[in-house]
Amino acid sequence: MIQAIAASRCPTCALTVAPPAHFCPRHPVEMAPAAVAGVGEIVSFTTLHSPPEGFRAPLHIALVELEGGARFVCHGAETRGLRVGARVAIEAVDDVYYFAHLGALDRARLFWRRAGHAGDRVNAIARSLAQRVWKGSSGAER
Amino acid sequence: MHDVWVAGAAMTRIGRRSEPLTDLMAEAAHAALRGAGLEGPDAIVVATMNPEEFLGDGNFASHVATHLGFAGVPALRVETATSSGAAAFYAGFALVAAGLRRAVLVVGGEKMTHLPTPKVSELIGRSIDPYERRYGATMPALAGLVTRALLARHAVTPREMAQVAVKNHAHGAKNPLAHFRQPLTVDEVLESRMVADPLRLLHCCPISDGAAAVVLAADRARVRVAGIGQGTDTLAVRHRRELTSFPATQDAARAAYAMAGFGPERVEVAELHDAFAPFELIALEDTGLVPPGKAGRATLDGETALGGRLPVNPSGGLKARGHPLAATGLAQLVECVWQLTGEAAGRQVGARVALAHSIGGLATSNWVTLLEAA
Repeated sequence: MIQAIAASRCPTCALTVAPPAHFCPRHPVEMAPAAVAGVGEIVSFTTLHSPPEGFRAPLHIALVELEGGARFVCHGAETRGLRVGARVAIEAVDDVYYFAHLGALDRARLFWRRAGHAGDRVNAIARSLAQRVWKGSSGAER
Repeated sequence: MHDVWVAGAAMTRIGRRSEPLTDLMAEAAHAALRGAGLEGPDAIVVATMNPEEFLGDGNFASHVATHLGFAGVPALRVETATSSGAAAFYAGFALVAAGLRRAVLVVGGEKMTHLPTPKVSELIGRSIDPYERRYGATMPALAGLVTRALLARHAVTPREMAQVAVKNHAHGAKNPLAHFRQPLTVDEVLESRMVADPLRLLHCCPISDGAAAVVLAADRARVRVAGIGQGTDTLAVRHRRELTSFPATQDAARAAYAMAGFGPERVEVAELHDAFAPFELIALEDTGLVPPGKAGRATLDGETALGGRLPVNPSGGLKARGHPLAATGLAQLVECVWQLTGEAAGRQVGARVALAHSIGGLATSNWVTLLEAA
């Protein structure tokens, strides 16, 4: 399932940040609440082998560019086989966000599950996912 | 604006030191004053990143001034995370340039090795955005993200990154004050323990103790501060569009060159903030010292080694000289002064213009300073 992630958008420069911030980091104006879909592209990722206190090694951390434009920091269960540019879904477990790699099959399943629901927003997400599935099959496995 | 001159420059040996931080700072400060031929300064600017947590001591400007024997001299403290030394230099520069003071002692230092490594990482990591910290982000973690993005866009190669560490260790071997004085091979770097994939242990600078000091004066001396600039960026890495270069360095360099009235073409030696080896490659391009995309090649070709076209980090850099946080920005400038005055025995470049570059946090508060031999 695609989760909505709470974000905020700057009325001046349209910068979207997640989680929401009170003020835009680049303008002294209040940000407007926004929500972005919990799907996006891996910008970068790392595995910490000596994580700070309170975390267990290996600790996988990723920076993900969400479809709504915000960049998001999250954990992952695994980074083997992961590449910069890979499509991932973001999910919260106990208030902590994790990414999961979306294979072609996952993306198709997501599409069919979402396509059955009513509502413009959901349909829009489904359409966008369908496009990604199509693009993915032609060029993602570079 | 008045001309500002570096009248004295000194630093301690960097490494694992048993002396209290105030003694290390006194060693550097008193030596810098002796070099300047001064009994005492008009004002003191102190740089320490986090003595409250590392040592349990606050009110640190007064603490240092009193320890130095200058309880009656006005003193203040400046902090911009890991670039605090460069920021303190700027504050001292501004006091003299404005005509408020005629001789300012700028002294920076940090004492860290008495604490266990995870504690030190956590304390340095407090300069990271709190939300990102909740996901375990440390300085090596964020540097790992930067490095992965660099490799993914083929901006650098693993061999080029390793060569930065190898070169800086070779330089450190010629510096009696460096933390590490033993050479390193590319294979040793590439086979060292993974810290924050793809960053390995030998890509990273050590945890060090030490102090450095300069005296900035209105009276003519052998080295002039030609330009200085600060660049800043968002605290959170996720709020930036760019991961593989640091706009804070680019802005700082632009401001420094504008003040100096010349560009990177006149720089003949540089001290760059290589806390992580790929950061030296990023800084080479962000400061305009090397054309975009050419830093790795220039490093492999030996252009940035002693004897090359533009020696970078002749002191050994953060990697080999060591990185006692708030001392580092000043230690870089001390090395630049010694290079310009012919006091860098065993690693002398023979330069008229030197550039120092310091990164605060994960490139949230960066500084570029240009020094020129009179």
